[in-house]
Amino acid sequence: MPEHQGSRRALSQRQAALILLLPFMAVYGLFLVYPFFKGVWISLHDWNLMAVAFNPDAKTYVGLRNYERVMWGRDITWGALANPGFQIVGFLGMVASYLLYRSGRAGRVTALAMGIAALLLFVLPGFHPDAGGRWFDRRFWPTVGNTILFVGLAVPGVTVTAMLLAAALDGETRAKAVLRTLFFLSQVLSVTVVTLIWQIMFSPRQGLIANLTELFGGSPVVWLTAEGFAMAAIVIATIWWSLGIAMILFLAGLQDISKDLYEAGALDNATGAKAFWHITLPNLKRTITVVVVLQIILHFQVFGQSHLMTNGGPNDTTQVLVRYIYQTAFRDSELGRASAMAVFLFVIMGAFSILQFVLGRETEE
Amino acid sequence: MKHAILGATALTLLATGAIAQEVTLGRFFGDCENAGTDTKASVGEACIIQSIINAADATLDGVSVNTLPTDWGNYYDQIKAAYAGGTPPDVHVMHRHRVPEFASLGALADLTDDLDAAGIDPSDWEPAALEAVTYNDRIVGVPMDFHANLWHVNMDLMEAAGLVADGAPVLPSSPEELLEHARAVKEATGQDYLAADFAQFPLGVRLVLALVWQQGANVFDGDTATLDTAEARNAISAVTQLFEAELANPQLNYADSQQAFLNGEAAILVNGTWVVDLYASEAANAETALSTYYAADFPTLFNEGATWADSHMWAIPAPLKANDPETYDAALRVLAFINDHNVDWARTGHMAVRSSVLESDEYAGLPHRDEYTGTADIARDTPPSARYGAIQDVLNREFQAIWLTGKPVDTALLDAQVDVQDLLDR
Amino acid sequence: MNRSYYWLILALSIPAFLWLVPTIWMVSLSFQPNDVLARTTSTTALGLIPIPFTPDNYIALFRFGQVPMWFLNSLIVSAGMTLAVLAVSTTAGYALARLDFPFKGPIIVLCLMGLMVPEQAVFIPLYTMFADWGWHNSHHALILPRVAVPIGVFLMMQFFKAIPKDIEEAARIDGVGWLQIFWHVMLPLARPAMMTLAILTFLYAWNDYLWPLVSAQQREFFTITLGLASIQSNFAQAEGLGRVMASGVIASLPVVVLFLVFQRYVVRAMTAGGTKG
Repeated sequence: MPEHQGSRRALSQRQAALILLLPFMAVYGLFLVYPFFKGVWISLHDWNLMAVAFNPDAKTYVGLRNYERVMWGRDITWGALANPGFQIVGFLGMVASYLLYRSGRAGRVTALAMGIAALLLFVLPGFHPDAGGRWFDRRFWPTVGNTILFVGLAVPGVTVTAMLLAAALDGETRAKAVLRTLFFLSQVLSVTVVTLIWQIMFSPRQGLIANLTELFGGSPVVWLTAEGFAMAAIVIATIWWSLGIAMILFLAGLQDISKDLYEAGALDNATGAKAFWHITLPNLKRTITVVVVLQIILHFQVFGQSHLMTNGGPNDTTQVLVRYIYQTAFRDSELGRASAMAVFLFVIMGAFSILQFVLGRETEE
Repeated sequence: MKHAILGATALTLLATGAIAQEVTLGRFFGDCENAGTDTKASVGEACIIQSIINAADATLDGVSVNTLPTDWGNYYDQIKAAYAGGTPPDVHVMHRHRVPEFASLGALADLTDDLDAAGIDPSDWEPAALEAVTYNDRIVGVPMDFHANLWHVNMDLMEAAGLVADGAPVLPSSPEELLEHARAVKEATGQDYLAADFAQFPLGVRLVLALVWQQGANVFDGDTATLDTAEARNAISAVTQLFEAELANPQLNYADSQQAFLNGEAAILVNGTWVVDLYASEAANAETALSTYYAADFPTLFNEGATWADSHMWAIPAPLKANDPETYDAALRVLAFINDHNVDWARTGHMAVRSSVLESDEYAGLPHRDEYTGTADIARDTPPSARYGAIQDVLNREFQAIWLTGKPVDTALLDAQVDVQDLLDR
Repeated sequence: MNRSYYWLILALSIPAFLWLVPTIWMVSLSFQPNDVLARTTSTTALGLIPIPFTPDNYIALFRFGQVPMWFLNSLIVSAGMTLAVLAVSTTAGYALARLDFPFKGPIIVLCLMGLMVPEQAVFIPLYTMFADWGWHNSHHALILPRVAVPIGVFLMMQFFKAIPKDIEEAARIDGVGWLQIFWHVMLPLARPAMMTLAILTFLYAWNDYLWPLVSAQQREFFTITLGLASIQSNFAQAEGLGRVMASGVIASLPVVVLFLVFQRYVVRAMTAGGTKG
């Protein structure tokens, strides 16, 4: 009998599964799960990189003190209007997300995500040191703020540009395919090539932008060391670099919009920009959300642009979280503190990953 | 790791048929590809050090030296990571200011009892050099130089502004005079008076530090930060007055400021001893705008003379001495070779560390050497600290914030004070 | 194809050209003599056309310098990582998609959670582990951490799930074992998905910066991406702008060629891999 013969020669389903799963599970356990928990463990210690390397006992358990030292301060209080700009926006955001949900204009998850974001915007900026108090680490929250600012500039920049390009380049003609390729090309370059190119582009002495300004009689901007321009410079380089993925996702989203809708729209005189506004945009809502969340996750991890182009300067205005982690670990040798920040990064990334997962589920339904 | 390197060398050995003890050498100073082995002909830090290393590789029997040059920016991050990973180079260069950080962990081999046998005579070192490489009464390195900030001068611009007397530049003796001179240069030539890297590496910081020391103050003392002081304000305003009057540009980085000086766009460049031979050779080059070059001592603008100074030195990792005596001996022979070529290294413009070299005619005959003889006496640095690197970063960040982003001096000094104190408390 | 279509293409060609300008500029600078660049970068057409022209930068790059060695390292690391990721992802993806075994649900969830952990959250503990084992400055140290990222497993799992059941059942009835089915039936079917995953991994490996930066401290083990970063911070020193730009071109060549040849797969890989690009 064939079945009998098969089971004699072959392994059982369980055994086969074990053999096939084992290589990945081993690597996964050893190089991802274990390091993750070890990272949390390191964050609970006073752990000097070199001291521990020379003497494994040179670490001391300090509980949550690294977290306190990084994120907290002396005499920290909370006020509903300590940072009115952000907090009022946060408060209005909470009201808005509730109203949108009630009126049925936003889905449950979207409203909840908006609401939580608004709540955080209301609560977090409210913490501030009292008179005589201070943050233990004066740089941590500004660094988080810079990272959020970077995300806040890069994500809309990438999303809007990519969406417009995708709408214009949607279609099967050869010319459009070539143009798509051109816009996508920079996406495959490495961060060091991108920073290399843009560092020189922005250079006040040798840069193409400076050459252009001088050609028109202007005096060149010292992009990378001028406050205000430095962040703009790394955002520009980032948009140039990472537009491709977003554009491709939008093109995929556009494929799913039925042509009938446009034909129906054309009868109502909705073509061109009008059609984009009334037909394309509403139907791309889900793709937009996916792209935005993906980009947030991607750009929150920004490191190379800041590390190589501006060194975090001037005056820390482009210092970002991952660079601060890297410096704390490898310049200051303080692995404990750096790990505490890494855990903080994980919590934020994790929240967005869950959001992405939930949204993905919603899209599938 | 070791095996991988050995494996790679084994291949080359098979090709050449030689058997040599390989010594890996870590350094900064930058790349030089065509350094050759002539230690008297090379120009610039990178090529001079590489020619000495190449000569050691060629001359020493049974020793081959494998240079692992690396860039400045990440040098200490990488060397620390290498130590922590158990793969430090067999010998590596470092600054005196890093000795407390490395030696306090027991990272550096104690060379005290092995120097004589290797042919290195510590009694020939200047007392300050011996002190630089000594930690808890043990010698943990071989000093290679003293280096300090100088005022590099474009004599043509100074001459045009009437600031030359007896073939030497007339340098200011007070902050007020500094501004006057700067105005005079601007009026006479239209060029900036002073340039320096105020935007990248901490060269601007070192300039301000010198002015703080010149008033008898310091940025920290023992475990107490002393940054938020009148002296610091005086020092900073001496510099910022030039920026405000547009007689100097704070936005130039290292390469840009050097380029500005060589292009004749600045009368003074504040930079280290390491570029004296480079600028001298550029001045001789007809295509470079700079044609008459002078290397001057850092002038005294306040009460006492002071300029920022440091030392380059070579160290051997402690684990090498403990685990691999053969490579350790080979590494010591390389250090002895470098020590023997102290005068060649001094050709960069650095000051030699060996008394016998300092007294030699060859040393005295080096270009521009007689122009900055006062520097050795005014050389200073901040107190030793295992947090030196991080403290420098704080100062660089806050000082740059003042002149690049207009941060109020009071706020910047208060922030710097708090941050430095925080580092000292850790 | 009406008039407005050609106007659209024409209008879009301008931004597309501007988009390319930085890349063109890099290539153009790499073909100009260093002593000219030291004076000005805008000799001809703002520097966008390499006149005066010289191939010296590329010749020097291969004669001296460590760029060829870094290039080789990048090839080894990228190829090694690609093979390793393919091996563990196809096997595990198949098991999770098609086989029944105890705790399958929890294992899938466990793997899913791994997607939430960014590289930056584990690079410090990984660094200390590899240091304890003396693994740094080796090719496998650069390869292994990425093999543990479960994105490939999920791509393969989703692909295998979509294959109709009857293909497998026919083979089962003929008495073929699970491993043989995997090897002889499933893998050939999975070629497009594997291609996508391979390209995604190769691009990631070639362009990765943070992990090589902490793990490779010796220049012999730099990847080209990391080497390029070290050249950048040495602007003040000898090499010259043209040389640096030539290194950038060399570093980009394989990924650009890969992209142009396998454009369809690259686009699919980027879409699938999204977050980890």
